[in-house]
Amino acid sequence: MNLLADKKIKRSQEPMASAATPDLDPGSQTAEAADRYMSRGSGPVARARTQVAAGLKPAAGLPDLKPMFEVQDLNLYYSKFQALKHINLTIPAHQVTAFIGPSGCGKSTLLRCFNRMNDLLEEVRIDGRILMDGRDLRGPQTDVVELRTKVGMVFQQPNPFPMSIFDNVAYGLRCQGIKDRVYLRQVVETSLKKAALYDEVKDELDKNATKLSGGQQQRLCIARAIALQPQVILMDEPTSALDPIATLKIEELMNDLKKEYTIVIVTHSMQQAARISDKTAFFLLGEVVEFDDTVTMFNNPSDKRTEDYISGRFG
Amino acid sequence: MNKSRRLKDGILNGLTWLSTAVAVAVLLLVFIFMFRRGWSDLSWDLITTDYWPQNLNVAFRQGEAGAYTAPADLAAGDSFSTLYGFALRDATDTKKAKTLIITYVDPDSPLESAYITTAGSQQGLNQAIHEDASVQMLYYQDEDGQQVLAGLLAGDDAASLVQKLDTGSVSIQSMYYQTAGGGIRGSILATLLLIGLTLVIVLPIGILAAVYLNEVAGRNRLTALLRQAIETLNGVPSIIFGLSGVVMLFPVTQLFGASGQSILLGALTMAVILLPVVIRQTEEALIVVPQSLRMGSLALGATRSQTIFKVVLPNALPGILTATLLSVSRVIGESAALIYTMSTVVTDNPKILQPATSLAVQIWQIMSSEQPDFKLASAVSLIILMMVLLLNLTVKLITRRLSRRWA
Amino acid sequence: MNDRQPNALMLQHNRQRRKISDKIWRALFLISCVLSALMIVLIIIFIAVKGIRVFLPGYEYGQQNFWDFLTGMTWRQDSKTYGVGFIVINTFTTAAFAALLSFPVATLTALFIVKIAPERLRVAFTTVIELLAAIPSVVYGVFASGAITKLVQQLAAFFGQTSAAGISALSVILLLAIMIFPTICSMAIVAIQAVGKSLEWGSLALGASQTQTNFKVVLSAAKSGIFAGLVLGLGRAFGEATAVTMVAGNAMSGPSWNLFDTTRTLTTTMLSGMHETSGLDYDIRFSAGLVLMAVILLTNALIHLIKRKIGGVDHE
Repeated sequence: MNLLADKKIKRSQEPMASAATPDLDPGSQTAEAADRYMSRGSGPVARARTQVAAGLKPAAGLPDLKPMFEVQDLNLYYSKFQALKHINLTIPAHQVTAFIGPSGCGKSTLLRCFNRMNDLLEEVRIDGRILMDGRDLRGPQTDVVELRTKVGMVFQQPNPFPMSIFDNVAYGLRCQGIKDRVYLRQVVETSLKKAALYDEVKDELDKNATKLSGGQQQRLCIARAIALQPQVILMDEPTSALDPIATLKIEELMNDLKKEYTIVIVTHSMQQAARISDKTAFFLLGEVVEFDDTVTMFNNPSDKRTEDYISGRFG
Repeated sequence: MNKSRRLKDGILNGLTWLSTAVAVAVLLLVFIFMFRRGWSDLSWDLITTDYWPQNLNVAFRQGEAGAYTAPADLAAGDSFSTLYGFALRDATDTKKAKTLIITYVDPDSPLESAYITTAGSQQGLNQAIHEDASVQMLYYQDEDGQQVLAGLLAGDDAASLVQKLDTGSVSIQSMYYQTAGGGIRGSILATLLLIGLTLVIVLPIGILAAVYLNEVAGRNRLTALLRQAIETLNGVPSIIFGLSGVVMLFPVTQLFGASGQSILLGALTMAVILLPVVIRQTEEALIVVPQSLRMGSLALGATRSQTIFKVVLPNALPGILTATLLSVSRVIGESAALIYTMSTVVTDNPKILQPATSLAVQIWQIMSSEQPDFKLASAVSLIILMMVLLLNLTVKLITRRLSRRWA
Repeated sequence: MNDRQPNALMLQHNRQRRKISDKIWRALFLISCVLSALMIVLIIIFIAVKGIRVFLPGYEYGQQNFWDFLTGMTWRQDSKTYGVGFIVINTFTTAAFAALLSFPVATLTALFIVKIAPERLRVAFTTVIELLAAIPSVVYGVFASGAITKLVQQLAAFFGQTSAAGISALSVILLLAIMIFPTICSMAIVAIQAVGKSLEWGSLALGASQTQTNFKVVLSAAKSGIFAGLVLGLGRAFGEATAVTMVAGNAMSGPSWNLFDTTRTLTTTMLSGMHETSGLDYDIRFSAGLVLMAVILLTNALIHLIKRKIGGVDHE
């Protein structure tokens, strides 16, 4: 069984992916976004341009570095408080992008924009655009429920449903009306394998998921997201509630997952960002101060505030 | 602390002790009272027999005389037939007419082999004659093979009838008698029907309404108004629900073919009474379901209603169970609203679209008759008291479990 | 194995179906809620319409005079005289006396349960209060007509008065006092529990004894909650029907200030003889119901007013 192949078949069958808006050339879109981004600053921008530009013209060895999300001049207000200010970002596909910054800086808020979880909060006002496959996520054609099957999310606290392990993983598919037991079984198995949980639970798939340990629960939540074969997995401080060993397991897992999925992770820990991410965005007071290759950002930050934060002077 | 201050404190403290003692005493008094008045009337027969007495003609499959011994605890005035194994007593019924009441039947007595001979659908069915039946007349066969009439119609009292049987008969042939009646089987059935119907109506509406208030509605003025309107129902006396049931809900039952008071009308009225109870209990259970579960479900691409039915409501089940038990308890205890909507006429075969009485209403009916049968009222009271208290204690247990669950 | 892969068409179809069913369910949620909220409005409208009808010209069984109805001191079915004035007075006096008896006992019991009783007994006593609240009205009725009336009869004999086998205003008052006790008490328990520890410590730190603190600080801080319980209790006393009817005796005129006389309250008027009546005598019960609702609403408003005057420390 080749689930990767399956997935590709499925993707190409999906009308949205295949019939992708002919009037929008993804290349020009990204270039536009990059231009807007460049107009904002000096130091980091230059580097970012080279990066994004590299993504535009697929170089050998990096065939997949096309944009997944393009955030264009995004503002978000909680009633009167402005939580995000003029965000411009391009999240590359098949990379791990980390959002770092002190608490309350808006990094989780932006993350929740990608699967529109902010819709659930009242008195939230958003302007600006987030493009995915060239389409505005908040546009009228985008179906939120469908969007969330393509953009999975893992939360800070592991939140398995109080039902069996199997039912947890099959939940998303069943919600889509898929009842084929054999198929569900296959997907549950592969998802658990990919989430590196299968060996630990294969004999007790009927066990209540809340009985698992914290780290296992979080990997179950990852498996649950993977089962939907999403394009992106958003992770909101996925290891902050876990012990170091469980954290290590999840981090290893992310390294494997990025081959198939785009990962955006919010983290409090700079070490974690440095260990696992390809790109890092540093947030401060609702703004993106710097967005760059992780290696560059940590070794040679271009903004004084980034340097202060990374070296532990505040935060 | 000086002495007078200590004395004053002591008196005040003593007052609180005293008050609480009064509360406990009242509860105990109600219990003891019901037990003492009702316990003697409480029996399996009370629960299983009809309310309306039935006149029956029966014959005996094995009517031959045997040899029986009187039970040790036979009352002094009772006459025991050693040939047929039953005891008789002289009595007067509610209309002051003379009756002959059977007070004891031996398990092997010919009376146990009786079958119905009255023409009709029940003809041929076994109908063992039990205690408290009232004998009108009886045919027996004497030693000459003649059929002889005995009983009230032949001018017999208990002693002379037994005398006749035990001295000159070889077998008993047939009997005309009246069943005891006064039972609560019909009201129990009606109460069960009422409970079922009420739950069927109130649970879906109440749960859906609670889901709307807690899961779907925004936090705005309209929601507050809706909530306030539902809360207000709590303060309305049940007799007002009874009145409004008659004018407001009767047309609804007419759609189903009811022509007057009915169990359905009672159930609809009870449903309105219970709406705030069910909604509040369900809401309390919904509130404690962690937000992270809803988020998790929505993030997996479930719709709002899928999230509600697959994740939120299953976790609110204990609360819904609590609401159900409380509802059942209220339905069992309710009287005023049902007197208006279900009538005070006891029936033995309750039908959904016909008038009937619940147990509580039957108590009311007993108490408001010319000669209230106090013992019977107490016995039925004891039954509903037990059920209501049991339900409430169960609810208390569940609530305690529930509060531990997410802790 | 690949043929097991759900095809896109089916998923698309499912998506449509889910969307529609989500919409339908949301509509059902809303409808249920609105329906529940509408009930109180409908009840008021229906009772008002039916209750006012007898005072309107063209009423089929003979129009009644509204003013005579409100101020009348006789209620006689046989002469078709329906005056609700003395009934309202009776309703108020019996409920007020019952509250007078019940309120102090209930408040002290609540104080005992929350502040004084040993930890282990607390749960037991709370259960006692809850069970008292759960006993159905009709059971209290049987209890009252078997026990309370006997007591009242003896009291009457002691004072040289006659009473109709104990059926009297005093029986109603005692019965109502018992019935509203758990209502007042459980509200008082909640109110006393909500009083902050800091207030208590403040008082203790000033050298007050625990008992003084309980009576002076805790009770006065819980004042508004306890009064809310009183309002609820009065509401229950006004609206209590079945049990009261069993011991009230339905006097035809009044008010009588002798506690051993029979009495008649709004609810007993509405309930007694229900099964054997029709026409005006039936319809006028709705008018009495309307008066009952007015009485309850007025009392609520009045007590709110008094409460605002009293004011007091409110707990958070």
